[in-house]
Amino acid sequence: MPLISVVLGRLSQAFLLLIAMSLIGFIGVHSVGNPVFNVVNIETATPEDIRQATIALGLDQPIWRQYLLFINNVVRGNFGTSYIYHLPAFALVMSKLPATLELACVAMLIAAPVGTGLGLLAGRRSGTIFDRTVLRSSVFALSIPSFWLSMMLILLGAILTGWFPSGGRGTTARFLGQEWSFLTGNGLWHMVLPALALAIPNVALIARLSRSGTIEVENLDFTRFCRAKGLSSRRILLRHTLPNISVPIVTIIGLQFGGMLAFAVVVESIFAWPGVGKLLIDSIQLLDRPVVMATLTFISVAFVALNALVDLFYAVLDPRVRLS
Amino acid sequence: MKPAMKADILKGLKKPPLGPVLTASKILLASYILLAIAAPAIAPQNPYDPLQIYGWEASSPPGTMGGGGFRYLLGTDGLGRDIVSTILYGLRISLMVSVTSAAIAALIGLTAGVSAAYFGKWVDAAIMRLVDLQLSLPTILIALIAIVTLGPGIDRIILALIIAQWATYARIARSVALSETNKSYIDAARLMRLPTARIIFRHLLPNSIAPAVTLIPIEVGHAVALEATLSFLGLGVPIDKPSLGSAVANGFQYLLTGQYWISLFPGLALFGLIASINLVGEDVRRSLDPRNHPA
Repeated sequence: MPLISVVLGRLSQAFLLLIAMSLIGFIGVHSVGNPVFNVVNIETATPEDIRQATIALGLDQPIWRQYLLFINNVVRGNFGTSYIYHLPAFALVMSKLPATLELACVAMLIAAPVGTGLGLLAGRRSGTIFDRTVLRSSVFALSIPSFWLSMMLILLGAILTGWFPSGGRGTTARFLGQEWSFLTGNGLWHMVLPALALAIPNVALIARLSRSGTIEVENLDFTRFCRAKGLSSRRILLRHTLPNISVPIVTIIGLQFGGMLAFAVVVESIFAWPGVGKLLIDSIQLLDRPVVMATLTFISVAFVALNALVDLFYAVLDPRVRLS
Repeated sequence: MKPAMKADILKGLKKPPLGPVLTASKILLASYILLAIAAPAIAPQNPYDPLQIYGWEASSPPGTMGGGGFRYLLGTDGLGRDIVSTILYGLRISLMVSVTSAAIAALIGLTAGVSAAYFGKWVDAAIMRLVDLQLSLPTILIALIAIVTLGPGIDRIILALIIAQWATYARIARSVALSETNKSYIDAARLMRLPTARIIFRHLLPNSIAPAVTLIPIEVGHAVALEATLSFLGLGVPIDKPSLGSAVANGFQYLLTGQYWISLFPGLALFGLIASINLVGEDVRRSLDPRNHPA
């Protein structure tokens, strides 16, 4: 069964990836700063207090034992307790997840249709002024650092015009035991700018991809046949070209969704959006090791899992992948 | 080089697909480099010297006459530093960090990729697994993990950027070197019992270098953006010697109260730098790619 071997191969590869990452990340995070001084007050603590705190945090053990302890805990979903918030680190990450997820989803809901649409139109009329404009602005959209894009959105959308709020989540509503912003008008209003900041580079990426796909498909015999049959060009574009370019587009949407989790770090910090990314940066600055580890592990696992899913999806959809 | 081929390359350089935009970005990039080199001579103020900075002039709007006897054309930042000078000095740091890291990353990546191709077996497997691991994650995530691990500082950020970027070169160098290792000049070198290091560095590397080297300009652009992002997040260069990214970050809190100039102007400089590097880099890659110049 080639499909099963592809699945198993892909999963073991993903697993090895995670082990390697956890090892590198663990050693790294543990060689920075002394977190004891975040728990005790440097000015008033006695050596005995410091010793007590070191033992309480498990920092007196040799580093390999700390790693084994860490892995043992990770497998059981236990990343330790945050030094700052005194809450379980993993639960803390999970509590911030809805905010990140809804932002990434809304951004993708903007990016996918807009990007595909622009790409289809540009590919259909390749060489025209519209096509060149799409192509050129996509180069710029992809080369703007996301933090600067976010700041310009704040400057234009919030400070100069006052149309949108410059940060925060706004009013949230309870659904499935979590707080969500997209359920209230005010929350959606708060989402517009950060979602745009995440969406714009993806619009450019998807547009380029669907443009090149469209140009390729438009030259194939079946589209010529459709045209000879007298179908309207809109129908050809939507019913015949679009399905044929959809596999790479769906793939890139899957991959970029994982990428958004990483880029959320930047966008969330700027828009004060209380998600996983902002938690990561805050925890790095506060030397809150368990939370840094839990967040980095979570982002990596989510990314690796998404990648594996996309690959498998590809293998199911396209028989050629199974053979190679 | 055959004259016909040379003419082809020149033609490729002379007929750029983006035309005037490309010419403009070449001029822009050249002036960025000149400004960065000449910064200490032409900047009206040394932003690292506390004696030249007047705290009471913090956040002056553009065009204010300063106590140092010159006009703050683009205003001052929250510490009273002249924005023009901050941009010029920041440009130096941004370019220095990104060019250094791209060059070292290229060197390491090339050596790793060529060695993987030459030795094969477990060396190849080990190096390429590491490369796959890195390329399957977003660069920003790798850089974040690296900088969290290494801690702050300019040397650390260069190291983090090298860690984030070497894998791209390694993959390309390996694919080229794989086909080179089968050629007879490598067999000849082996039969002559040349030392392995000599075969790799004097024979294999020079013949596998071209495709990876054409990547360097684009990777410098990525490095500028990455460094700026890390510095913006407060994980990059220290605040007293700002790069363009940290200059933008310094002004962010003032942006919300309407003092837009502190982050707008360094940000524009940064955007121009990245865009011009990307456009020129893409053009360099295209015109050096042998596939675009059939002999």
